[in-house]
Amino acid sequence: MRHFRTLLAHELRSAALSWNTWAAAGLFLALMGGIHFFALVDAARAPAPRSPVEATLWFFWLPLLCVLPLLTMRTFAEERRSGTLAALLTTPASPAAVVWAKFLAVWIVWVLFWLAFAAFPFLAAQRLDGANARALGEASALWGGLCFIAVSGLLHVAIGILCSCVTRSAALAALLAFISLLALTAAGGALETLPIESWEWLGWLREPAAHLRTFGHLQDFTDGVLDARPLVLYGTGTLLCLGLAVLTVEGQE
Amino acid sequence: MNEAAPLPEAAVVAERLTKRYGSLTAVEDLSFSVAPGEIVGFLGPNGAGKSTTMRILAGTMSGTSGRASIWGVSVALDPAGAKRHLAYMPENNPLPEDLRVEEYLTLRARLKDVAPDRVAERVRRVMEDCDLTRRASGRLIGQLSKGFRQRVGIADALLAEPRVVILDEPTIGLDPHQILGIRELIRSLRGKMAVLISSHILHEVEQVCDKVVIINRGRLVAQGRTEDLRRELLPEVAFTVVTRADEAALLAACRAAEPAAAVVAAASADGWNTFRVTLPVGSPARETLAGALIGAGLALREIAEERFGLEDIFLAATRRAPGEGRRS
Repeated sequence: MRHFRTLLAHELRSAALSWNTWAAAGLFLALMGGIHFFALVDAARAPAPRSPVEATLWFFWLPLLCVLPLLTMRTFAEERRSGTLAALLTTPASPAAVVWAKFLAVWIVWVLFWLAFAAFPFLAAQRLDGANARALGEASALWGGLCFIAVSGLLHVAIGILCSCVTRSAALAALLAFISLLALTAAGGALETLPIESWEWLGWLREPAAHLRTFGHLQDFTDGVLDARPLVLYGTGTLLCLGLAVLTVEGQE
Repeated sequence: MNEAAPLPEAAVVAERLTKRYGSLTAVEDLSFSVAPGEIVGFLGPNGAGKSTTMRILAGTMSGTSGRASIWGVSVALDPAGAKRHLAYMPENNPLPEDLRVEEYLTLRARLKDVAPDRVAERVRRVMEDCDLTRRASGRLIGQLSKGFRQRVGIADALLAEPRVVILDEPTIGLDPHQILGIRELIRSLRGKMAVLISSHILHEVEQVCDKVVIINRGRLVAQGRTEDLRRELLPEVAFTVVTRADEAALLAACRAAEPAAAVVAAASADGWNTFRVTLPVGSPARETLAGALIGAGLALREIAEERFGLEDIFLAATRRAPGEGRRS
């Protein structure tokens, strides 16, 4: 992992100066701002089972599918297309350092986006009196939800990075990331809706399906339940994706 | 320069390098070496496998078989170790458009293990050497002309004072003034770094290089000093002769001086005929031909020995079958 810090600082700086990042940030905040606004309006009309903050976080899949691919698509695809990745690899910097630096930079940007979103509930609470402000939801639910975003974001960003490694087209990388993230997010829910119990030969799917409940993980985090299984799932998935990304970069000719 | 270490016999070694893409063989059984401090021209027609070979040596591509080493370090077994001794400027010189020249060189210096307290000094030095300080240091790379981009690539190659520099078409797209500048810069590296340089501008290679390696269809066809290759590949000397005599009279006069002489008519105007006279290399008639023709009573207006340049050597080498007449 030689030169990891140098590469990470470079990637963060590039991200901060890139129009792509700012466009993604604008889209993200517009999306989440709009969702949160409607969640507040709904909460004001009638009592709902979820607080506005939880209801907003429930829509995490929307920026995940629409914004995260914008952040990851150019990481490798653009550099492969322009040839700057090959030039970078002529230095003693290892492919692993390059992959991890790009991964961590995108993950930090992604988490910063969500921390910026966290300002919305606080701003809303400041404009309301005490009782109504409490009705917006517990701060713990917000921080729990953000922890889920940060933990699951490791795998989501790693998937985006891997998709960007396998093509020279940023647009194709974004599409691949979109499909992969959609499949991952929907897989748990889809498996849960299947009548697995009544199909003997599908019995082996019961356990994996329970592990892939993305929305269940979000619920656990917002409820303050710390389960090791999602941590293992997202951690191993991240390592697997990044390992494949390193192999892909090493094998590129 | 890097820390003192035993000097290897060869700075760059390519030993039976082969690269295949499925059924297509890009490089086959290619062997050559570059001595420390030597400047070597790497020549070949388009598609001969020059860039592929350079990329294998630079570690950005793996060969199918064979061995490549940089400063005694195997490129395949210890790529990071080999890269520490090497700087490589690829053919199209890819650069990030959104960085300023100084920022880019600073980043590259850090990635190339330049000591932190020497980064600023090295960046300043290479920018001065490549004439970037005044007109380009603060500009975005994306706004630079082709010439300045090439200079940035060469500055990057020289940043860490590597033992070996591989430059793939470093003067492509440059104007004559810029080519001259780059040529002087490369010439100044003689004795300090081993340089392997590919170029289609043969005159430039001849001016700068100690030795040339010529490949064709992925295989070595010639290597050595230009003078040696001239003797090997062009085994005759040629003269341009302008005279009033006809071909038969000229041939008779030439044969009197050198029985193996040959004459070919080239042009004729205003009663003066131009011929090309060839003699074997080493023929004593090379020194006495003019006197022999005058002695034979021929009306002579001009006689001049043709100089065979690298272009002639290149054409002769690439015409012959790959693998024929290799030199070590």
